[in-house]
Amino acid sequence: MTNTTAWRGFREGVWRDGINVSNFIKLNYTPYEGDASFLSGPTERTNREMARVKELLIAENAKGGVLDVDTSRVLTILSHEPGYVVDKDTDIIVGLQTDAPLRRGVSPFAGFRNAEQACEAYGYQISDLVQTEFKYRTTHNTGVFRVYTDTMRKARHAGVLTGLPDAYARGRIIGDYRRVALYGMDYLIEQKKLDKKRLGEKDYLDEATIHLLEDLAKQLEFMAQLKTMAQSYGYDISRPAENAREAIQWLYFGYLGAVKEQNGAANSIGRIAEFIDVYIQRDLDEGVLTEEQAQELIDDLVIKLRLVRHLRTPEYNDLFAGDPVWVTLSLAGVTGEGRHMVSKTSFRVLQTLYNLGSSAEPNITVLWSEKLPQHFKDFCAQVSIDTDSIQYENDDLMRRMYGDDYSIACCVSAMKTGKQMQFFGARCNLAKVLLMALNGGKDEKEGSQIAPVGTVYEGDVLEFDKVYAAYKHYLSWMAKLYVNTMNIIHYMHDKYAYERLMMSLHDTDVERLMAFGVSGFSVVVDSLSAIKYAKVKPIKDERGLITEFDVEGEFPKYGNDDDRADLIGKDLIEYFYKELCKTPAYRGARHTLSILTITSNVMYGRKTGSTPDGRKAGQPFAPGANPMHGRDAEGALASLNSVAKLNYACCQDGISNTFSITPDALGRDKNDRIEHLVTMLDGYFQQDAHHLNVNVLNRDKLVAAMNDPTLYPSLTIRVSGYAVNFNKLTRDKQEEVIARTFHEKM
Amino acid sequence: MADVHSFESMAALDGEGLRYAIFLTGCPLRCWYCHNPDAWFPSGKNVTAEQAFQKARRFKPYFKHGGGVTFSGGEPLLNADFINETAELLHGEGIGYCLDTSGSVPLTDSVRKALDRADMVILDVKFPDPERYRLYTGGDFSRFIEIGRYCTKIGARLWLRTVVVPGINDSEADMEQYAALVKEFKFERYELLGFHTMGFFKYENLQITNPLANVAAMDRDRLDELQRYLNSILHPQSKGN
Repeated sequence: MTNTTAWRGFREGVWRDGINVSNFIKLNYTPYEGDASFLSGPTERTNREMARVKELLIAENAKGGVLDVDTSRVLTILSHEPGYVVDKDTDIIVGLQTDAPLRRGVSPFAGFRNAEQACEAYGYQISDLVQTEFKYRTTHNTGVFRVYTDTMRKARHAGVLTGLPDAYARGRIIGDYRRVALYGMDYLIEQKKLDKKRLGEKDYLDEATIHLLEDLAKQLEFMAQLKTMAQSYGYDISRPAENAREAIQWLYFGYLGAVKEQNGAANSIGRIAEFIDVYIQRDLDEGVLTEEQAQELIDDLVIKLRLVRHLRTPEYNDLFAGDPVWVTLSLAGVTGEGRHMVSKTSFRVLQTLYNLGSSAEPNITVLWSEKLPQHFKDFCAQVSIDTDSIQYENDDLMRRMYGDDYSIACCVSAMKTGKQMQFFGARCNLAKVLLMALNGGKDEKEGSQIAPVGTVYEGDVLEFDKVYAAYKHYLSWMAKLYVNTMNIIHYMHDKYAYERLMMSLHDTDVERLMAFGVSGFSVVVDSLSAIKYAKVKPIKDERGLITEFDVEGEFPKYGNDDDRADLIGKDLIEYFYKELCKTPAYRGARHTLSILTITSNVMYGRKTGSTPDGRKAGQPFAPGANPMHGRDAEGALASLNSVAKLNYACCQDGISNTFSITPDALGRDKNDRIEHLVTMLDGYFQQDAHHLNVNVLNRDKLVAAMNDPTLYPSLTIRVSGYAVNFNKLTRDKQEEVIARTFHEKM
Repeated sequence: MADVHSFESMAALDGEGLRYAIFLTGCPLRCWYCHNPDAWFPSGKNVTAEQAFQKARRFKPYFKHGGGVTFSGGEPLLNADFINETAELLHGEGIGYCLDTSGSVPLTDSVRKALDRADMVILDVKFPDPERYRLYTGGDFSRFIEIGRYCTKIGARLWLRTVVVPGINDSEADMEQYAALVKEFKFERYELLGFHTMGFFKYENLQITNPLANVAAMDRDRLDELQRYLNSILHPQSKGN
């Protein structure tokens, strides 16, 4: 393909002979080593649009979190007329999910009952039309529950397997939206048609091939619809984008189509900053764009990303608090050849947090490398200190496994952009499995038999070897059940709620990852450490089940850089991962694992009885891979070192760590704080740690905000792989966040 | 072997860069405003130089921009032998250390060695005259002077610190007295710290009398004002801060 207008001035490469965005970026981006002084503030137009956005957000908040729901029709790519934030002339980057900002659409493909409940929770009724349309249609949720075994249902009910995407859309799939801009839809459609033709010519069309052929047919249908959607806004995206504004618009249309079609848990936008920078730089060089206008384009894209909404049930919000969409936007990193990928647009994206104010979305993720330019590192640290809105992930680590054009989905899930997709798998409650192992396979709360019958632990004191052997036995059983449950879920999701548009922006021979997860990590590590190094006496209740523990003596705790505790955790994760890999995953997917809880650590704790580490029944877990609140007694860096010991090779879906420090503990003044934060990030990631959320704030501020939400209306904090507006959290989650360890000045 | 109060893996204020602080117990002084009275007494946690070194070296990835280990307390120089032994191991690994001291110990050979080999010394200037020094700390002013002079003589990088307590040493005249006192020392910066009440609960836990129980925390603005005044009258060779 050649296109002299759209591709003028670009350096040639294999990207012209077939879809290869990574090659295009590497040949054409402009690395930037300078500081942030070139950045522009918001334009008068941006301020006007933001004023409107703020009004809308206040109104949304006042209505209990949902401004409006359109129940009259099913939300799809073509369901709604064009919508604007202000109007057609004021919006620069155009497109909304429905015909009005913050008006949510109904998308019942993953589960009808779920959509119905979500509407009812906010005082709406699904229209008769939608009811009729879905009367004869099987949803993902129906499909899954047709096939679930009794054991799966029980494990789910007890909360051993939890947060499973069996009633809501799985999400975590990132279309390569850059392709729309670089190649235009016609070329992409042509390529998919060729793939389909080639595939159909195979000698033997087995089930897997037929499945893929049908997928391709679905993709092609929705690719055509995307063109029509763009047309309704007055744009022809059949051809490649010709300038920066078009490139951003085209890319955003791709993303918009995806979030109209799908309401998956996380809808991330991928690694787009350096790609966009190529177009901006060309326009700047041609003298048709100013820095102020370039910033305005990025600001306007980010405004649109901040307005993406899905309709959720209250139960869903219990898992994923704060109404997140995870419009995760990854930036920076280093190429395989060792060149940093920081461009001026990496700065411009961060600058939106100043121009538009701090915000939870998009979930800005800095792909950190020791090779990033110092000025950029300093600017990131400054933005963290000022806004608490960004997260960091270790590019030097991920690049080894995912190459140099991966994106982050949701919180911490890496995947090669357009080349890998993920089957999202929520998580398994490791603490409950431990209690089950002590209780012969019974749930400690309800007493029901979930796992195979074993014996309740005999003896007055828990012996480490005996307990660990029983635990491993039940973990093996759990792993098998977990993989099979996931296989059912994703079979049905592919069948009834396939992501047609997102997958059309992937290679046809896509690699699949199946992402398992664990919760209760630090609780289990400390429990096992207590059993090993202190004296833990089990206490049985009237049912003969062990429900309380009497702990005598001291024991090393995870989070103090003490190998005695930390290596228990490392070993445990490696074991569980190996066990998962023993059961094949659906569609040849590769198993991955995360230690990530989002905000569900509160809910998981609620569903879990007392544990041998001294945690009482119902108390929250620590989030992700964090040490338990207050048990990391040797300070911030010791806590980081403990987490850094976990093996990413076994946790390739991410190891989430959330870190809060008070400004005074970080340094005397602004310069010291920036220098110290950069040093901390470098030192942490140098040890092959994976992820860090950074909050620099005082606990008092959160307490004040909890008691009076009007004090800090846009107070944003990092929780677990994402940021939330603090005021959108429920009281119990706010309390848990406040109870977390804040590293303070001595 | 030394008795350790605690380890703090991220001390970002006691010296340059990020620091691993080792708080040793025991102190010859009984400062009225002490916010770590729990470090006066042994904790029972005995740590060898090897153990302290093994813990500290884990933080080497964070020791940039002058970062390293800080020996604090209590009065760390009471354990000068331990410091020297640990320092030997640290230096073998390319890690430097800083001493956070009140200078209230006799200048023995061992103390000299610890001072000689430190990257930096943070020295508390408790009170500018022997009388108040004796009254509010119970210590011997001449020892402090001796150590300050020694640091100057060996050309140690020296940071000075003074805790300012409302009603005790918070006047402009006090600042003038401090400035005159430190004139003979060669130092890089002189920082005033405000008295705070965050350590009060420790007195209650230890059931010892807190002589300043009725004194409020130092006002932030007044402290800044005093710092500016002190800077303005300090010897020109100092950078001030």
